[in-house]
Amino acid sequence: MFVLAVIYENCTGCHLCELACSFKHHGVFDLSLSRITILTKPEVQTSVQVYCLQCRDAACERVCPMDAISRDRNGAYIINYDRCIGCRECAYACPFGAISFEVEARPIKCDLCGGEPECVAVCPHDAIVYMEEKKAARELKKAKAAGVAYGLYGGKETSEHPRKKAEEAVEYLMKLVEKSGELDV
Amino acid sequence: MSTPSGRNIGNILVIDLTREKIVKREASPETVKQYLGGRGFNSKALFDMIPGRIDPLSPENVLALASGTLAGTALPMTSRLHISTLSPLSGILGDGNAGGEFSAMLKFAGYEQIIVTGRAEKPKYVFIEDDEVEIRDAEELWGLTTGETVDWLRDEHGDEVSVAGIGPAGENLVRFATTMVDKYHSGARGSGAVWGSKNLKAIAVIGTKGIEPADPERFYKMAKEDIDYFNRNDFVRRIYSVIGTHYGLIQWYPSWKYFQVPLSAEELPIGLRPQDLAEYEVGRTQCFSCPLACKDVYYLPSTGEYGTASEFESIYALGSNNCITDTEEILRMEHMADEYGMDVMTLGDTIALARLLHERGILSDEDVKGVSLEWGDAEGQIQLIEMTAYRKGFGNKLAEGYRNFAKLYGEEALAYCYDVKGVNRGWYEVNFIKGIFTLSHATSTRGADHLRGRSWAYWENDKLMDIEVVRGMLEAGLPDYRKDPVGALIYGERACTLADSLGRCKGSINSWLQAVPLVWKYPVFKGTAMLLTAFTGMEFTEKDVIDATDRIYLTEMAFNVKQGIKKKHYDVKFPPEFAATERAKAQVRRHWELVDEYLERRGCDVETAYPKRETLEGLDIGYVADQIEGKEFPEWDGPVGEVA
Ligand code: SF4
Ligand code: SF4
Ligand code: SF4
Repeated sequence: MFVLAVIYENCTGCHLCELACSFKHHGVFDLSLSRITILTKPEVQTSVQVYCLQCRDAACERVCPMDAISRDRNGAYIINYDRCIGCRECAYACPFGAISFEVEARPIKCDLCGGEPECVAVCPHDAIVYMEEKKAARELKKAKAAGVAYGLYGGKETSEHPRKKAEEAVEYLMKLVEKSGELDV
Repeated sequence: MSTPSGRNIGNILVIDLTREKIVKREASPETVKQYLGGRGFNSKALFDMIPGRIDPLSPENVLALASGTLAGTALPMTSRLHISTLSPLSGILGDGNAGGEFSAMLKFAGYEQIIVTGRAEKPKYVFIEDDEVEIRDAEELWGLTTGETVDWLRDEHGDEVSVAGIGPAGENLVRFATTMVDKYHSGARGSGAVWGSKNLKAIAVIGTKGIEPADPERFYKMAKEDIDYFNRNDFVRRIYSVIGTHYGLIQWYPSWKYFQVPLSAEELPIGLRPQDLAEYEVGRTQCFSCPLACKDVYYLPSTGEYGTASEFESIYALGSNNCITDTEEILRMEHMADEYGMDVMTLGDTIALARLLHERGILSDEDVKGVSLEWGDAEGQIQLIEMTAYRKGFGNKLAEGYRNFAKLYGEEALAYCYDVKGVNRGWYEVNFIKGIFTLSHATSTRGADHLRGRSWAYWENDKLMDIEVVRGMLEAGLPDYRKDPVGALIYGERACTLADSLGRCKGSINSWLQAVPLVWKYPVFKGTAMLLTAFTGMEFTEKDVIDATDRIYLTEMAFNVKQGIKKKHYDVKFPPEFAATERAKAQVRRHWELVDEYLERRGCDVETAYPKRETLEGLDIGYVADQIEGKEFPEWDGPVGEVA
């Protein structure tokens, strides 16, 4: 089973996933038509992704009076617009605000793009991954461990993690500069 | 598929603050074809609306803000807001671009450009939500810092609002006050003081419409390829996305003690190294739609504040050039400059100049009573920054900005002023990179500047990032700077003009790969032509793109001609001690040879530096020639008018 997992710590809030999502589903760049929403906490500039978690026991599916929501073979809850009456109950019921109804009471939600999520394809920082469940869990743990070192939790004042990454970047740059002497055109 | 708002080029919003009148008009297809958008639109508007030399702080001045043509789309790193005006710092064209989300939001609201004229009686702000545009009272906002202003407007209009505006420095008419976007992103060359002079505190925008390219599939395919390229590039992932422009600290020789020593990587003091800055980092961020995340988010333990984007420029200008090496103090100053809304480079360079003039006895103790101008005094500098923002005491002098500041102390002081056309940028020997570097400062249409024609970049930085691209560009006809420096510079200026007009960033990587979309695939401007065709539905050839950039550049030159710029203002500055040497004199001769060749190849008169009629007519902008041909304009000597 594949899951679409997010790693909050990695998201920098670039909005590329939203542009890609709205384009894939509507052919326009329009944040309000994206199935994934990026919310940025202004003072600290950290961002979180709000999107459908494809719950095992899904509130949206349960409340739909028309039985318009069902699971496809990728595990995505899909809205059947032939049955949907546009009551918005699913959006109200979803605990995560993952269903939007921006256009003519038409609920829209993540459909996992038929197994090839576009947001994952464009995300520059591996902040959204689409992986086999066990692997995703492992990735998440690694990110959390890095996050602790990053000083994201517990108000750590300065942090070791970026320093180490910066040192590696400097080292790599020096190596490239040295090598570039030999490069010619 | 639903397409709720099928459009790609937005409207132009003209706001007259004196009469509180708002007019919306369409951007004509001809203007898009001729001037593209962004900087191109702004430069045309300024040329059309400002007849000649006026006080930049008078109601007659025009403040133009434009999103790039391709802002708000999935084309990566293409959401810079271009801000242009007659600069109160230099008295010529003053423009710059800022990141954040404003440019995309403006485009989502359905606008390409905002043009502000006149002066409001009382402090005002403008609120835009799609088609609704209102001028509102800002008395409660006057006096607030940029951060407080954004918070106030978010409380009032919701978190999704994006804000461009000013802090106290703009209100107090500091000549290098900036337009600040979303708290942290700044656009330089004094536009902040123009907002202040117009009693305009901020523009807040919410845009909820979509952008639809004329040929959506083709456009998106190319945009996604460009995202992929950066996402996969090793240099981006391992360096730029980790330390951003801090990599320049060990690559670009930050200057020490008012441009006296360029620091090599080995000489860089502890405190100024990328890893020292990283200790304060708590996250990374970027402008809308950029995969790079070149900006750090830092936390200051001593004040409990968060800030972002402590770039190379802030570290050298506020730090090393003033001999300050305390990392946290420099970050604190950078954050103060953001909160007050001042350009860190002019701020730092002006303070460093004051230190030097004081050391040489050109500034007397009496002149600087009550302030410390010791090299390396961080506490003293923090005080100076505040005094400058509020024009208090000696700060009132510093607030005049670099050359205007030096002018207050006469010729002796001006001799240490390394500006071009009123804008600071240090000094460099002409034989450095075959003369391109100094030439590019001299020919920049907004005064000395490192971003106007960064033609050297395709060698230094592109080579590190992707050598194949350099080969491709040279094969496609890009002049090799070692053989043809002037040709290479003109191409660099075209690339940067293009980037500024599309809304594309040209900052952090310092490379063609960033400034020119798809240059890694279709050198040199072919990719851009394809993108513009797919986006606008109008046919763009590579020649159309090049012509548009030349049209924009020459319109800007003509704008400056009307402000009194003559050939002599294309000069290069050296410290007086060096200027007297034979070596320097030979370099000056070489510089003027390059300037002559440049003017010739740009289609300008080599004696007057005016763009020639035949050149302008060849680009279908004979109207520009009508305004300058055969006319004499009073010679430029900095901005007109005084601040009380
Ligand atoms: S829409 Fe909400 S409730 Fe439904 S599956 Fe997704 S996250 Fe769960
Ligand atoms: S809006 Fe449609 S899908 Fe959602 S609960 Fe109502 S009928 Fe079901
Ligand atoms: S593309 Fe990735 S990094 Fe960018 S906003 Fe989306 S999740 Fe965050």
